[in-house]
Amino acid sequence: MQIYLPIAEISVNIFLLLGLGGAIGFLSGLFGVGGGFLMTPILMFIGVPPAVAVSTQAPQIVASSFSGALAHWKRKTLDLKMGGLLLAGGVVGSFFGVQLFSYLRSLGQIDLFIGLSYVGFLGVIGGLMLLESVRSILRSRTGQAATTPQRRRRSWVERLPVKMRFPSSGLYISIFPPIAIGFLVGVLAAIMGVGGGFVMVPAMIYILRMPTNVVVGTSLFQILFVTALTTVLQAGQNQTVDIVLAALLIVGGVVGAQFGARAGQLIKAEELRALLAFMVLAVCFKIGLDLVVTPSDLFVVIPVEPQGGS
Amino acid sequence: MLDALILALALQGQQTVIQTEAPSIVAALTHETVEIREDFVGQELVLYGATRGLTIQDEIVVVLRGPAYDLRVMRKARNFGVWVNSDPLVFADVPSYYAIATSLPLENIASEAELADSRIGLPSLFARQPVTAPPAAAAAAAASATPVEDAVEALPPAGPTSEEVLPYLQAIARAGERQNLYEEAQRGVEVLDGGLFRATISLPPLTPVGDYVADVYLFREGRVIASRSAALRVEKAGLERFIYDFAQTLPWLYGLFCVLLAVLAGYLADLIFNRR
Repeated sequence: MQIYLPIAEISVNIFLLLGLGGAIGFLSGLFGVGGGFLMTPILMFIGVPPAVAVSTQAPQIVASSFSGALAHWKRKTLDLKMGGLLLAGGVVGSFFGVQLFSYLRSLGQIDLFIGLSYVGFLGVIGGLMLLESVRSILRSRTGQAATTPQRRRRSWVERLPVKMRFPSSGLYISIFPPIAIGFLVGVLAAIMGVGGGFVMVPAMIYILRMPTNVVVGTSLFQILFVTALTTVLQAGQNQTVDIVLAALLIVGGVVGAQFGARAGQLIKAEELRALLAFMVLAVCFKIGLDLVVTPSDLFVVIPVEPQGGS
Repeated sequence: MLDALILALALQGQQTVIQTEAPSIVAALTHETVEIREDFVGQELVLYGATRGLTIQDEIVVVLRGPAYDLRVMRKARNFGVWVNSDPLVFADVPSYYAIATSLPLENIASEAELADSRIGLPSLFARQPVTAPPAAAAAAAASATPVEDAVEALPPAGPTSEEVLPYLQAIARAGERQNLYEEAQRGVEVLDGGLFRATISLPPLTPVGDYVADVYLFREGRVIASRSAALRVEKAGLERFIYDFAQTLPWLYGLFCVLLAVLAGYLADLIFNRR
């Protein structure tokens, strides 16, 4: 059964979209990530214009992060103060990202930019994640106890000024690193159509050295508000949010995530991370290949957008 | 009664005069508007018409043109191993849709020059110049310090397509054909008895929205001897239209609405799955 998407202006099979939402939802439930980094490239692959694919991911991430953040809120595993700072950076980043997105779209370079961002971020994050998980798998195989990360070492982060106390995280650090991380994630949400959890969670653990029990809840809190803002900005400025597409992906994603979360409990955490790392690297490789391999048509034809927006 | 009879006779007289003096053609489409709804996957359009004074050597050509838009065409060039869109050229007023149906292969109906005069056929569609200067010309213009006014006037020359612009035009043609937006149906026009004819044109799933014009030409000995136009409108309808209009006219409110809907979906998911 085909459905015509009013903003993307293409006709797509409704069950394909529900299935995609379900499959990506399953993976995101399994690995505890948003899955935007998988969904956006797939949407582009099935013919959704890149601008619409990226923008429409935002409301989908709002839906999935809302239920997650709510659960953490109830369990009090959410550092509201830290979340607020990350959010402040994220708001500015989102504004900046949407402007950048509009500008690059007017130049006709948005596809390249999205592709390069994907390869860069997924390559680095996937590579680090793979190294880390392989190391911990090897450790557990040899029966060695996991060494605690070296917390004692004074990093450059601790030397920055304007410090603030974060009771929930038990930290006393400068406000600048959280704001900078939030900013970066806000930009990513706008230009890559991702929540940014895959960047923020490692940054919170390794740079801010937050305790792991509040990391996921706090990042979901920030992602929820940043993607909500990104949705409004993309809709308001670029008119590229397709609500029908978003609704179908949300329905599939919500159901898939539940099954994924259940399946995730059957697999060891470090093996799960290794699997996720492989998946991230595979997406990175595919997008990278598309940038390098000689395209079938050496020309691109794009309608000139009337300089719109209000 | 007598008046009516006289009128009828007069009309009949007129008709015979037309038939012998001037061949003419009339046409209409089965749809005046095509509505794009949720289940739109393309549509078949039938254009039917009648001719007067159709002889055995006459041929019929039907052209359906979609709304024109400006296109930016870029050449992909390898930069540091990565393919980058470069050297953009902008072409103004390119039809977004162009279908042609004929009663004989087009080359057997008229000469290229005659077809170009009436702007019939894909070759005529692409006999155009970019609005922006091709890269080499722009560089040359920059190098020779010609006054700006002269350079602007020199930009769109109505001459033959230059070597450099040609691949760009071919790219537009390829892109249109890939999406079934540019189509040539040889013998797509069926000539029936008594000067009636019928042409079937299919609109693809990616049919652009806007005003279309169907032109019908009657050719005799390689020349257009009569022509007629019919209008067609393709528009979004129903829910599709409502959503599109909402997103275009009240974009900020639409964005807020999307967020609300997403939050509601997340909340419902939490209610359904976390209760157990």
